[in-house]
Amino acid sequence: MNKRLIFLGMAGTLILAGCGGGGAADQTEDGKTIITFINGFTGGDGEYMKKITNGFNESQDQYFVEESQEKDHYTKFKTGDYDLLLMHTDNIETYKQDGMIQDMSAVMEEAGISVEDFHPVAAEQVTLEDGVYAIPLDIHPMTMFYNKKLSPEAPETYEALLELTNTLQEQDPNLYATGIPSGGLPEWYMMTLVAQNGIELVEGNHLNFAQDEFADALMVYHDMIFKDKISPPGLGLDGEFQAFMKQVEEGNSAVQTATALTGPWYYQAVKEAYGDDLGIASAPELGDNPGVYGGGHTISLPASVEDEETMAGIAEFISYMYQPENLINWAESGQAPTHLATMEMVEADPEKYPLAAQNIQQFDSFVGAPKVYQFREQKKYMVENVFPQVVGEEGMTKEQLMGELEKATEEARQIAETAPQ
Amino acid sequence: MRISKTWSVLMYLPFLLCFILFLVVPFFYGIYISLHQWSVFGGNGGFVGLDNYTAILTPGNIYSNAFYNGLKNTLVFVAISVVPLVIISLALALLVDSIPSNLKVFFRTVFFISYAVSVTAVSAIFKWLFTGNGGYVNNVFDTFGLNTINWLNDQPSAWIAILIATVWWTIGFNMILFINALDDVDQNLYEAASLDGANSWNKFMHITFPSIKGVFVFLTIITVIASFNLYGQTLLMTAGGPSQSTQTLIMVIQQMVFNQNNLGVASAMAMVMGFVMVIIVAVQYAYSFRKE
Amino acid sequence: MKKSKGKDVFIVILASLVALLFLLPLIFMIFTSFKGLGEAMSSSALLPKEWIIDNYRSILGASAEVPVLLWLFNTGVVTLAGTALVVFVDVLAAYSLARLNLPGKKYFLGIVVAALTIPGIVTLFPAFYLFREFNLINTYVPLIVIYSANTLGVFLIYSFLKGFPKDLEEAAVIDGASLWQVLRFVIFPAIKPVVATLAVLTFLTIYNDFLWPSVVTSTDEMKTVTLGVANLVQGANFVNPGRMMAATVVATIPALIIFVAANKYFVKSVMSSGLK
Repeated sequence: MNKRLIFLGMAGTLILAGCGGGGAADQTEDGKTIITFINGFTGGDGEYMKKITNGFNESQDQYFVEESQEKDHYTKFKTGDYDLLLMHTDNIETYKQDGMIQDMSAVMEEAGISVEDFHPVAAEQVTLEDGVYAIPLDIHPMTMFYNKKLSPEAPETYEALLELTNTLQEQDPNLYATGIPSGGLPEWYMMTLVAQNGIELVEGNHLNFAQDEFADALMVYHDMIFKDKISPPGLGLDGEFQAFMKQVEEGNSAVQTATALTGPWYYQAVKEAYGDDLGIASAPELGDNPGVYGGGHTISLPASVEDEETMAGIAEFISYMYQPENLINWAESGQAPTHLATMEMVEADPEKYPLAAQNIQQFDSFVGAPKVYQFREQKKYMVENVFPQVVGEEGMTKEQLMGELEKATEEARQIAETAPQ
Repeated sequence: MRISKTWSVLMYLPFLLCFILFLVVPFFYGIYISLHQWSVFGGNGGFVGLDNYTAILTPGNIYSNAFYNGLKNTLVFVAISVVPLVIISLALALLVDSIPSNLKVFFRTVFFISYAVSVTAVSAIFKWLFTGNGGYVNNVFDTFGLNTINWLNDQPSAWIAILIATVWWTIGFNMILFINALDDVDQNLYEAASLDGANSWNKFMHITFPSIKGVFVFLTIITVIASFNLYGQTLLMTAGGPSQSTQTLIMVIQQMVFNQNNLGVASAMAMVMGFVMVIIVAVQYAYSFRKE
Repeated sequence: MKKSKGKDVFIVILASLVALLFLLPLIFMIFTSFKGLGEAMSSSALLPKEWIIDNYRSILGASAEVPVLLWLFNTGVVTLAGTALVVFVDVLAAYSLARLNLPGKKYFLGIVVAALTIPGIVTLFPAFYLFREFNLINTYVPLIVIYSANTLGVFLIYSFLKGFPKDLEEAAVIDGASLWQVLRFVIFPAIKPVVATLAVLTFLTIYNDFLWPSVVTSTDEMKTVTLGVANLVQGANFVNPGRMMAATVVATIPALIIFVAANKYFVKSVMSSGLK
C-alpha cells in the first residue's frame, strides 16, 4: 500500500539523515592520510592559519591536514578525536598531567626543529620536567592601543597615565586615560603586575594569592579607578575595549578612554575604527620593573596519536609550518611568532607586521602562566570574584582584600588536589 | 475495538524504543555514573558510593561551593521570575481577549513572535541593549535625565536585565495558553454576573480565574521548571557575572564536565538538582489542588 | 456583550504601545545589523546614521568568515527530521494508548506522565557520553533523535483522543476499513490541529535548542544556526556588534517565517483543553 510506503519512506529519510554527518575518515578520496588539527582560531587570525594549512596541502601528495576552527575547541577536543591540538601555554601542564598529550621530542626531531629554535621564554613554557609537551607558535602579550587624537604619545608609566587622565578630564569629564574591566581580562591585569613586581605566586602545587605584595599590587588597580581617576569605574566584561571604541557625545553619560590595555586580537577592530590615529605600544610600567603577562599559542600532540603514518604526517606538517616563509603568514595575522628565524623576518619589516614587531619587543620582559595543574580553575575564584571587588567597590581596604585572597587560595589549593596521582 | 494486540504493540513500539534509549537508559546511566569517580577523558575510575553526593552537599569544598552558589542563584531567578512570567502573560492574555476581534490575530501574533527567536539571538540583542557604557537603554535614561545603570555588572540590575530578556522571550507561550483558556470560559456566566451588578474585578475573581485555574497551575509549574533550567541567557549576557552571582546550576554542571572533566560529580549535581525540582513541583501541585 | 467604542479605542492604543515595546528589540536587532563597526560600538541611536550592508556581505558572501548558510542547512535537516520523528512516534503511541488493546496500558501511561517531571539536565550528560561511546558525536543522529523521548506530545494527543468520540472509527471499521485507513482518513484529519501544535512546538524547541547541540557537535560544519551564532556572541574575536546582529537576523528570519505561517494553528490550540 503506497501510504504505508510513505511512512516507510519517512522513517528511511530519518535514518539517512542520521548518517549524513559521518565521522572523520583516515584517508581522503585520493588516498592521502588525513591529519586532523583542531584550534580555536575563530576570529580574524583563522584565515592566516588556513593559509598555512592550505599551503601545506597543496605541497603534498601524501598527507592532508584537515583543520577545524572552533570557539570551544578544548571541549570539542575532549568530545572528538584529533591528531593535533592547538594548546594555550597555561593549559600545557594540566593536559600533560591528565595524560591527554604526549612528549613531542621525537616528532620535533623528525621535523628538524628543536626548542633551541625558539625565544627562551617560549622554550621555557613548553618544557616540562620530563619532556617537551608542545611546540611554541606565538606569544600574545598584553598590548596597549592608543588613540593618537587623545594621547599623542603612549603613556609608559603610572605617572604618565595620571598626567594623561588629568588633561583629558579637563576637556571632558567622560574622558579617561585607560579602562580596567571587571570581566574578560582580569587575569592579564593581575598577572602583569605579578610579573612587574616579581611576585612568586606558586607555592608547591597551587597558586598562593594570600600574599602581602600581591594585595598591594591589586590595590594599584583600585587606586587607578577610585583615587586617581585613571580609569572610569564600573566597566564590565571587555569594558577596556568597549570604552576605547566609544565616542563621547554631548548629553550622554558614556565614557571613552584614550588607551586600551588589552589583547592583541582586537587589533583588526581598533585599526578599522581609528586607522592612522591608532598607536600600538608595550604595556606600561605600573609596578617596580618592566614586565608583561599574556597568553601563548602552542601545538600539542594528543596522547591518543600512535599510528606511525599519522606521526610521519605530523612531522611533515610541522616541518613545513616552521619554515620562516610559511610561518610568516601567522605574523601577518598580527600574532607575534616565537620562532627565532621567523622573528627576524618580522623585525626586518616592521612596516608590514606592525603589531607582531611591536609585541616581539615585549618578549624579553614577558612572564607566562605558572605551571600548575588546572591553572584556569585555580585562578577562577580570584578573577571572577575577587578582582571585580577590587575594581568595583570603592573604599575596599587591604584587610578586606586579604580575607578574599585567603578564600581564593583555598579554592586554588583544593583544585590542585584534584590532580591525578 | 477489534484491533489485535500485535498491532497495538507495534504502534507503541517506536515511541517506547525512543523513550527507553534516550530517556530511561541515560537516566539510570546517570545514576550509575554519579556513584563512580568518572572522568570525561579517562572514563570510569571506580565505584565511590555516595562520595560524590557527600562532596557536593557538605559545605566547605570546591564542589559544594560551586553547587550551593549555583543552586542559590538558580533559586533567586526562580523566585523573581515565576510571578512576572505568569502574571504578565495573564495580563497580556486578558488584554488580547478584550481587543476587537478583527485586530486580535495581529496583536496575538506580535506578542507571541519573540517565542520564535532563539536564546542566542535574545541574549545578543539584550546584551547590547543593556550595555552599561552607552548602551541603548542607558541612552534612553540619559535622554530623560535619569541616572544610568551599570546593568550587567551590578546586582540586582543584572538579574533585572536577564529577567526582562526572559520575559520578552518566553511570555508569548504562556499568553497563548491563557488566551485559549479564556476562550473556553462560559460567556453566559459573565452575562449573569453583569445582571447581578458585578464589577470587572469581581467577575475576574469569581468567574474567569476559577475557570482557568487548571491552566494557571500548569503554567506555574512549567514556568518553575523552565526557570530552573536557566542557562543560555546568563551564559551569553553576563557569563555568570558579576562575581559569579548569575552562575546558574546548569552552568556549574556544564563547567564541571568540560573544565574539570568530572562527570561523576557533575552527574551527582544533576541528580540533586532534579530531586530539588521534583520536590518543588510536587509541593506546588499538592498545594494548588489541596481542596480537591 | 455591549462594549463602548471609547473603551475599544483605549484598549487598542494600550495594546499598540505594548506591541511596540515587544517589537523594539527586534527593531534594534535589524537596525544595528546595518551599522558599521565604529557606529555600532559607539552610537546608541536606534537608526544607523549610515546604512551599510557589509555585515551581511561578510557572513553571506563567498568569502564569508562564518558559514551561516551551512548552519541554517543543518538546522533545516535537524528540525525537519526531528519534528517528523516526534510526530510519527507520538501519534502512533498516543493512538495505541487511547484506543487499542495495549497490554499493561495503565503502567505505560503512568510512566509517560512521570517522565514529564524528569528534568532534562539529569539525562543530558549521560546521553552525551553514550552517544560518544557509539561514535555518534558530530553526526546528525544525536541532534535529531534525542527529542523523540519527550513524552509531552504523547500526552497531548492522548488527552485529545480520549475526548474524541469513537463512533466514527467504529463505523469505518464496520464498513470494512483497515486500521491504516482509519488512521489516515478518520483519526489524522481529526487530530490535525493538535499535531500541528505539537509539530510547531517541537520545531521551535529543536530550532532554538542550545545546550544539547553545544554538547554533541564539535565541528563548525555540524553546528546548528543557534549554536553557531551563540559562539559568535561569546567569541572575543568577533567584536563587531553589527555583524553579530546580521548573523542573528539571518538565523532568526526562517524561524519567524515558519512561526507566522503556522500561527493560525494556535488560534484554537487543544493544549489547554487537554489540561482541564
